[in-house]
Amino acid sequence: MEKFVYIALFAPLVGSLFAALFGMTPKKTFIGVISSLLLATSFVASAILATYVVQTGHGIHVTMMDWISAGDLDIPFGFVVDQISVTMMVVVTLVSTVVHIYSIGYMDHDKSFNRFFSYLSAFVFSMLILVMSDNFAGLFIGWEGVGVCSWLLIGFWYHKPDESPDVNPSISPSWAANEAFIVNRIADLAMLVGIFVLYWSTGSLQYDVVFPALPYLDDAILTTAAIALFIGAMGKSAQFPLHTWLTDAMEGPTPVSALIHAATMVTAGVFLVIRANPLYSMPEVSEVSFFIASLGTFVAFFAASMALIERDLKRIIAYSTLSQLGYMFAAAGLGAYWIALFHLAAHAFFKALLFLGAGNVMHAMHDELDIFKMGGLKRVMRGTYLYMGIASIALAGIPPFAGFFSKDAIIETAFNEGTLVLWTILVVTAGMTAFYSFRQVFLTFDGNERYKEFNIHPHEMYKFVLIAMSPLALLAMIAGFFQEEFHKFITTSLEIMPNYEMSHHTHELALYLGILVLIFAIGGILLAYKKYANGLVRNEKVENSFIYQLLKNQYYIPAFYAEFISKPYALISTMLWKSVDMKIVDATVDGIANMFYKGGDNTRKMQTGNLSNYLNWMAVGLVIMLLVATIYTLKA
Amino acid sequence: MDNILSVLIFFPAIAGLLGFVVDKSSARVYGISVATVELLLAIWLWMSFDGTNAGMQFIELIPLVPDFGINYYVGVDGISLFIVVMAALMTLLGMIGMSIEKDIKNMIISLLFLEMTMIGVFVALDAIVFYLFWELSLVPMLYIIGAWGGPLRIYASIKFFLYTFTGSLIMLVGLLFMAYLYQSVSGVWSFSITDWYALVLPVDYQIWLFLALFAGFAIKVPMFPFHTWLPYAHGQAPTIGSVILAAVLLKMGTYGFVRFSLPLFPDASVIMIPFITVIAVIMIIYTAMIAYAQEDIKQVIAYSSVSHMGVIVLGTFAMNAEGISGSIFLMLSHGIVSGALFMLVGVIYDRRGTKMMSEFGGLASVMPKYALIFGIMLMASVGLPLTIGFVGEFLVLLGFYSISPIATILAGTTIILGAVYMLRLYKRTFFGPITNEKNENLPDLNGRELTALVPLVAIVIWLGVYPKPVLEPIDTSVKALISFMHEKAQTAEAKETIILSKTIKEAK
Repeated sequence: MEKFVYIALFAPLVGSLFAALFGMTPKKTFIGVISSLLLATSFVASAILATYVVQTGHGIHVTMMDWISAGDLDIPFGFVVDQISVTMMVVVTLVSTVVHIYSIGYMDHDKSFNRFFSYLSAFVFSMLILVMSDNFAGLFIGWEGVGVCSWLLIGFWYHKPDESPDVNPSISPSWAANEAFIVNRIADLAMLVGIFVLYWSTGSLQYDVVFPALPYLDDAILTTAAIALFIGAMGKSAQFPLHTWLTDAMEGPTPVSALIHAATMVTAGVFLVIRANPLYSMPEVSEVSFFIASLGTFVAFFAASMALIERDLKRIIAYSTLSQLGYMFAAAGLGAYWIALFHLAAHAFFKALLFLGAGNVMHAMHDELDIFKMGGLKRVMRGTYLYMGIASIALAGIPPFAGFFSKDAIIETAFNEGTLVLWTILVVTAGMTAFYSFRQVFLTFDGNERYKEFNIHPHEMYKFVLIAMSPLALLAMIAGFFQEEFHKFITTSLEIMPNYEMSHHTHELALYLGILVLIFAIGGILLAYKKYANGLVRNEKVENSFIYQLLKNQYYIPAFYAEFISKPYALISTMLWKSVDMKIVDATVDGIANMFYKGGDNTRKMQTGNLSNYLNWMAVGLVIMLLVATIYTLKA
Repeated sequence: MDNILSVLIFFPAIAGLLGFVVDKSSARVYGISVATVELLLAIWLWMSFDGTNAGMQFIELIPLVPDFGINYYVGVDGISLFIVVMAALMTLLGMIGMSIEKDIKNMIISLLFLEMTMIGVFVALDAIVFYLFWELSLVPMLYIIGAWGGPLRIYASIKFFLYTFTGSLIMLVGLLFMAYLYQSVSGVWSFSITDWYALVLPVDYQIWLFLALFAGFAIKVPMFPFHTWLPYAHGQAPTIGSVILAAVLLKMGTYGFVRFSLPLFPDASVIMIPFITVIAVIMIIYTAMIAYAQEDIKQVIAYSSVSHMGVIVLGTFAMNAEGISGSIFLMLSHGIVSGALFMLVGVIYDRRGTKMMSEFGGLASVMPKYALIFGIMLMASVGLPLTIGFVGEFLVLLGFYSISPIATILAGTTIILGAVYMLRLYKRTFFGPITNEKNENLPDLNGRELTALVPLVAIVIWLGVYPKPVLEPIDTSVKALISFMHEKAQTAEAKETIILSKTIKEAK
């Protein structure tokens, strides 16, 4: 079985390096085909491993070679394929394969086609390292690796100029790329601190050494580690207040948004919390866990509120990603790790589908993303309409599609834990989710054909692309039925993944709770239908209202960061350079040098060449020396 | 070859002397050949080095002034071995990448003399020999900056010379006093560092001596607030000067801490930790912020060097094997990466005659290979895992966490602030549309530049993925150093702070 571990891991790397060889040459379709085939290979290997883990019930642990060893620290390149990582591997490689094939069509006219595939496969490789590593340092390799790939891919169209934030809230691809990288780095520092804490208290970074040692550590250490690692997770999973980069990341090509900024990379934070569940389930850190759940719930609502009025198709989906990540953290924080992982997988399928559908729309609309300029697209784009419809139903949580099962389980968990405030917010958010999802569907595909005013002639995507998307559509529809099988499989080994069951009381009420959520979801859809299905009616009064403006400006958070962090930083930096470093530190050095120089220059006047002057100076010197000698002898 | 170290030291110098008779047109080829042979010798040294032996190897001892115990005494251990190899490597690659035509012969000869002094400093085991090479290294550098530099070259080179020279004189006083103390205790004169190691000094003496040596090392590193000569030196120096200065000469200071301060004054070193920590943290954050404010690409790299040297200094005082090994590894990785970055700045300066960011923009589409290599070096500079930059930085921060979590977090901002100034630089230079039409037809890297840069890229990735061949010998020597310091320390505080690794504890 070991060889499949290596095949699954390294096939994308081979694909990336192969594509990189052609990175500076004109487009060659076979690069896309070969990368996709290698990704498919990786998927098959992952699937074989998954079957193996299902059948035998135990994982595979391989150690490839040493990486860093110094002092007592010993970090190998080690990989573990257990229930958690194999689930992630299957999800990641499956979505990646679809996205790779999709990109052959989507990036068809791009002159940097080859480079794109190189980056995309490199991303998958990093992501696999992240999920498969058997230690925190290896996880950090993947963690930073996906960060760099994300930087490269958000900034893929680096040649675009910067625009004012009023015209384009993300300014430019290269700006958005830098923002994503830097915000993630802030979180990474916290994550490193978490790693250091664990190292100095357990003497290792291997999961199988650290986790069993946790019960012997004191509260302060556990709490610090839990908080630090979670701040790391907040960066990657774009949780408030480190969330602004995710919507700006939509500057990247749409397949990238689908793969990285929806299905896989942004779930890395959730994965970390799930992986470190032995830490987060310690009773000593229950407050941290509850904070995670609360923050997740808050972000779910907060992001959904901004999606309500957004006009940019991709940004709407980005907000919904944020919101769903919030749901996942809510589940993980409440201890329902397997439910969080289940929602992570289901979400990956329908969210990738939604983004790829958005890519088709963008392609058809010649890169126009404003849904106010669309409408009636279902007449020309039947396939895409169908897919986006399926994905939106799944996202809204309508049975029997995947989102219903996974999201409902999270909401039920909140009820089961007795955290009724969280439960209420999550239920309301479910209604909002349904509303904004269908607002976007109706405005894009139904109603009057507003795009005609802008002289756009939309057309459906290539057939092979639509076919490539079908596995995601199928999974978005049926994945929910496998909830019980998944539950049984993932909790085979309770040390890796603790079980979570609803209480008897919740179980009895489950039907009513489900119906309540459903009422909110259907209510949201109906509202969206009433308002938008028959065309767009704009209401100036609403659009100028305070709340609308607040949401439109993302609660003024980006503006706040620009005004109170970026600008002061630049100002202080310039001041330190020009006023402190040049005027104080350096000027002091020059001042001392000048003093000697001037002193020398002045005393030079003694050298007059006049003998009687010299005799005078000799007398002065003699007197001083005698004085010194006298004082010295008196003292002694 | 028992006298390999002498060969390594004096071969470039003798070849440099012979260089006077070489024809000007073949001076570059001559220089490259000599540097290649020197690098091969250095690699041979590495290959015959016993990585499991923590002590000094290839020792040579020739009495010079027996009455005062001054000997020509050289040797190499895991700590100095790789710095020697790196000095030889960077000299060779710097020469290959060099675009200077003017007075090329003088340049080659200066570089070969400089190579002698650099290698001499790192293998010297006698304080006087060490001091001689230390000071001699100033002369070729003074000439390189002063003769091939920019408009302010005279000011910059004299500032560089006098500033570091002043520090070195204080250091010399410290070294002489150390020898005097040794004589007063043992009755014989000795300048041998290994003899000095055996001397257990009272704590107050340790502190004074520590400070005297600190003056020499701190200016060389350069540590805040003694760093202001560096931006001038880099700003005015030709590319080759900056490459050697950043890659090798700055490491003399941090190497001095490891070779002298730690083992000679273990108690003082522990007492001085708070003082050093404050300076190092200021260095890291303050210069990273100044780097962000720069408009000149080369100044960004120059200030970033100071910031990274802060991390190295911090690691040196982590008092555990993780931190000190990391610090030495970071010396190497900073040498490789900053050397490469200075070469890269030189590439664009050769083409356009300017290093201002505002003159560029959109270079990624006209010079993709250049953008790629710059991108890789950028990532190594910000410490991306699987590049050479991560290993050292990670180990230093990890190691220092046991001394002070707060200081580690403050110092750890280097990974954020480093990304901030480097990404801003990259965005303004390489991304966006091409705004200046002079940049539209810039040629990409040529064969000469690629020959100099590709090996560095290979090393950056090789030692990022598999640092073991280098890290292991370093770690062996560092563990021995730590265990020695632990033995020698007198105060309880020092004994407690200097953390022995488990393997050594068990061996006892």
